[in-house]
Amino acid sequence: MSETAVFESEVVPENVPGERSKAASALEVLALYAICLFGALALAALLVEFGSDKGSWTSVYTVILDGAIRRPGRWGLTLGITAPILLVGLGTTVSGRAGLVNIGQEGQLVVGAGFACYVGVRIGGPGPIAIVVALACGIIGGAIWAGIAGALRFWRNVPEVLTTLLMGIVASNLVGWGLRNRFLLLAPPEGRANRNQVSLPLAKSHRIPRVELFGNEFPISIVLAVGLAIVVWLVLGRTVVGFRLRMLGRNARTARRAGVNQKRYGIGAMLVSGGFAGLAGAVMLAGGDFGDYQLVADFGAGIGFAGLLAALVARQRALVLIFVAFLFAGLRSGSGFLRATGVSARIADVVQGTLVLSMLLPPAILYLRARRRAIAATSART
Amino acid sequence: MTSISDDVTVGGEHSSPPAVELIDITKRFGQIAACDRVNLTLHNGKIHGILGENGAGKSTLMKVLIGLVLPDAGQIRLHGRTVQITDPIDAAAHGIAMVHQHFSLVEALTVWENVALGDVGRLDHRHVRDRVGEISEHYGLHINPDDRISDLSAGMRQRVEIIKCLRRDPQVLVFDEPTSVLSPSESEFLFAALRRVVTEEGKAVALVSHKLPEILSVTDEVTIMRDGRVVQSGVTSGTDANTLARAMVGRDVVLRREHAAFGVLDSSIPTTTTTTTTVASQQPAAATPALRLVDLHVQSRDGRVLLDGLTLDVFPGEIVGVAGVEDNGQRTLGDVLSSLTTLESGRVEVGGVAIATGKAGAMARAGVGVIPEDRHDSGCVLDFTVAENLFIADPERVARRGLMSAAAMRKKADELITKFSINCTGANAPMWTLSGGNQQRVVMARELSHSPKVLVAAQPTHGLDVGAIEYMSEQLRSAAQSGVGVLLISTELEEILDLSDRIIVIFNGRIVGEMAKGDVDVDRLGMLMGGAGVAHE
Amino acid sequence: MSNFFSALGDIFTNESMYRNTMIVAVVLMFAASGELVAEKAGTINISLEGMMLAGAYAAAVGQARGGAWGGLAMAALAGLLVAAIQANMSHRLSADQFVVGLVLNVLVLGIVGFLVGSNEPESHVVKRFEIPGLSKIPLIGPALFDAPWVLYVVYPVVPAIWFLLYRTRWGLEVRAIGEDPNASDVSGLSVNKLRRQTIYLTGMLAGVGGGYFLYARSPLFEDSLIGGRGYIAIAAVIFGGWTLKGTVAGCVIFGLVSSFVLTIPGLGYKAIDTAFLAMAPNLVTIVVMLLFAKRVRQPAALARPFLRGLK
Repeated sequence: MSETAVFESEVVPENVPGERSKAASALEVLALYAICLFGALALAALLVEFGSDKGSWTSVYTVILDGAIRRPGRWGLTLGITAPILLVGLGTTVSGRAGLVNIGQEGQLVVGAGFACYVGVRIGGPGPIAIVVALACGIIGGAIWAGIAGALRFWRNVPEVLTTLLMGIVASNLVGWGLRNRFLLLAPPEGRANRNQVSLPLAKSHRIPRVELFGNEFPISIVLAVGLAIVVWLVLGRTVVGFRLRMLGRNARTARRAGVNQKRYGIGAMLVSGGFAGLAGAVMLAGGDFGDYQLVADFGAGIGFAGLLAALVARQRALVLIFVAFLFAGLRSGSGFLRATGVSARIADVVQGTLVLSMLLPPAILYLRARRRAIAATSART
Repeated sequence: MTSISDDVTVGGEHSSPPAVELIDITKRFGQIAACDRVNLTLHNGKIHGILGENGAGKSTLMKVLIGLVLPDAGQIRLHGRTVQITDPIDAAAHGIAMVHQHFSLVEALTVWENVALGDVGRLDHRHVRDRVGEISEHYGLHINPDDRISDLSAGMRQRVEIIKCLRRDPQVLVFDEPTSVLSPSESEFLFAALRRVVTEEGKAVALVSHKLPEILSVTDEVTIMRDGRVVQSGVTSGTDANTLARAMVGRDVVLRREHAAFGVLDSSIPTTTTTTTTVASQQPAAATPALRLVDLHVQSRDGRVLLDGLTLDVFPGEIVGVAGVEDNGQRTLGDVLSSLTTLESGRVEVGGVAIATGKAGAMARAGVGVIPEDRHDSGCVLDFTVAENLFIADPERVARRGLMSAAAMRKKADELITKFSINCTGANAPMWTLSGGNQQRVVMARELSHSPKVLVAAQPTHGLDVGAIEYMSEQLRSAAQSGVGVLLISTELEEILDLSDRIIVIFNGRIVGEMAKGDVDVDRLGMLMGGAGVAHE
Repeated sequence: MSNFFSALGDIFTNESMYRNTMIVAVVLMFAASGELVAEKAGTINISLEGMMLAGAYAAAVGQARGGAWGGLAMAALAGLLVAAIQANMSHRLSADQFVVGLVLNVLVLGIVGFLVGSNEPESHVVKRFEIPGLSKIPLIGPALFDAPWVLYVVYPVVPAIWFLLYRTRWGLEVRAIGEDPNASDVSGLSVNKLRRQTIYLTGMLAGVGGGYFLYARSPLFEDSLIGGRGYIAIAAVIFGGWTLKGTVAGCVIFGLVSSFVLTIPGLGYKAIDTAFLAMAPNLVTIVVMLLFAKRVRQPAALARPFLRGLK
């Protein structure tokens, strides 16, 4: 018998997704996101219709939109709320890129605010310096809080998912205790309502300056936050340190062989992450959009969670995060107007939750599909 | 040249319909046909060899048979009846079982628990235990149903795999490269058990292999696949190694290297050219070794000894092959040289300088390049681009003052992609879109571009197709020629024999033998790999 | 110092101390025994907290309509609903399980808060059911045998979980996929389907646990009722080294700590600020994990998603 087939190609030809299929899928991606977004809003609307005896979903959405941007002066408030959400989200982005799950930002934020408050009401000196010192103290406080979880993770193998959360509960109790004690945070009895646990307000000169633009007033901390977003974007995407950090998050063993010290980078990422949350707390205190420049019970007000969720929706991309943070801040400022409709303001949390949940879907679906294609294309005959 | 008889049913001894008929099976992955109108017939009471190189389509065919892969076209007939096999449970119900070469046992569970896994119905642990005892006695497999898998050797684990198969009393047994994890004596034991299954119980057995001697000595019938097609099929006794080898590759086999690649080491094939290896064994006694390992000791976290006083030298310009059966410390050795494991005692020297072990990046900085056993584990980052993967170890090369330059990275990456003929859509293609062979080229390109003093290649050709294997071998040779000390760790004895200037044998984390290229004694090598001549615990 | 010991004596001879211990321990046991099964299969369910809260709220609503049994059934259903989202997102779409869990917790808290703010659910204390004789054992008798009857449900649940995990085929498969999903897949197990099932089970148990807490602790529902106990239940599994015995012990210890801090001010000892008492269970949890997390062997594939094909 004769052999006709000759062994020809040495390399199995590739069939990776080409340019054409990429272009075709852009529309699909957009549609997928749109569907999920619509689904999330519809779900929240259903809850308003059937879960509550007051208000209708149209009135709720109108009111939220009014409260977030349409009424005079409102987008200034939204910007003021955006700043801490964005800062928390940036920290989450850094730790997330390193492969760590820090979900205790709420506590880190409160500790940061506590540190900033303790120092801010005590130091004198020129205003700008005092502000910087207070913010720095906020960073230190948050960093310590997250750093503990990071240290436990890398030295004792305690899952940071749990420790960050549990430390968060500890933090709010601890700051609450500080607010009951004169030598820590509690304001002197004169000038505050009896039994009211609040700190002294920051001195006028120790507050973050606010600017006015088109009838909207907001603190300049939003500029700081956006600037830091660009810095984070640059560092993660363009520097050797960011490259190594991302490597650690994607494949720790390869990173170790390539010279990335897991402890140093991991704990460093946690410190930065907590530092951002602490800064957010300090900015809330000194910014003026959260109470009267003073620390109160339950100061965090869910901003830590909002920032964390924003980072998840932005899928750890610092520039996208700016817009997501603004959106979440809008939900929050908008829900302030809800009382008029009789619908519980908690609906904003629900919308936020369904939004985040639905935004998890498109990337997961797209990834699974791309993967299936890649498997079909590269499965060499084995 | 003689050809094999195409008529399988010689002498009409199969009066009943065959146990399995695969008819015109076609399976495509993207553009590639892994199986292209493949026919295969298995008979009761016969061992049927399925021979082919890596990537010839034999594993895909078997996966079709056991329901792990659904064919695009074709029919499956069992005892003359057409059936649909949609998943492994379905296949089991039809009496088809597969003994996998890897990954089918859960280490943390006991033998009997593993045997029970994948069954259906009420779990009766006494019954399963009894059955394991029964089977193991019947076939002389000697295994304790209450042992934990993690405590068993590779050979024992394979026995568990076989029991797992036989427990369901299948009519058709598929063995996928069963000897790749076994020492020669364990292989013999396996084939004896296999013969018993066939002769005593009349089961049909399919033996997938790329090793010629195995096919010749064990099987009754043989099918040879190439490029997704059946090129020949017939009774084994009517053929010889030469014919098989030619059918498998599709051209005359002339190079010793290729003989070696198919496991033909005896004189059954006349060798026209002795060797193409030109690297002389250069081992100046006075030179500083590129890599010196002294008395390495490593234990696992649960106290098992992984490396037990391992000592060896690799000189610049030589290829040292570490031969051994899987799981005898090779993985740990690779990990130590990748800074992934810390030594309990011992010393690693590179170019005469002691290097701290387990310290992130220390080995890489000292000039130890590693092509790891599992590139997905410690060789590359699948979610990074090809370009990023090329600069994992030293991003500074494409950075100024800590700021990485996308342009410089792209330019240098393109150079490497061309130089190492990496087949990808571009420097920015995600690593996971590349085929295994090309991912391996990326790893190789990176490690060689650092001009290493030592190159550690652990199972560098595992799972690659023939073209990629040749390429890897070429690269290792030329690296040695340029003065790099190459440490080749492989369980494929043929690969070791083909490439190494010096061969050492690892067993239980220790070096148990060494021989120079000139005086290799294959029999002795096999004995050493199986632990003969070493005191057993 | 003698003050300190007399205080300790007071606390440990206080009947309600044991009663409270039992209440918290039982809540944790419901949640943690389910979580143990899920973790054996390879999932860490951060959404345990949300499952419990959903269960508690559903129990409050259900009880007003269908009595205590109705409430418990609703609680199980509510937990199952949360579980369904967690399971399908993390083991069908392979979204990150921590992220999904966290988002679910926030979402459940939001929805429950919204519903509570919009409607007033009614609820009533569930009758105690006294087991004659046994309840007369001093100190721990009333805690164990004179309790809201739901408590007695946990007595069969724990051994049932043990039987399920270690004596049934399903349990064997669950343990296998948590250790080596690839090998299990090759052996013919449906890894992600099994993982989803374990989460469904966890959801129902955690929901019942939440409902129980509502019945046992406070007749009026608040959205702060669960207050992080879901996370402590997860810690109990880690503390227990992924064994049922250890997990139950962990639940009792954590129950004891939280009851201890509840009892102190009740007996008139005000030396310790309530903030420290409130954070004590969390601190103890962290310290316990610090001591034990490195010593025990976790399921090898814990928190690793399984996808067939590309490794």
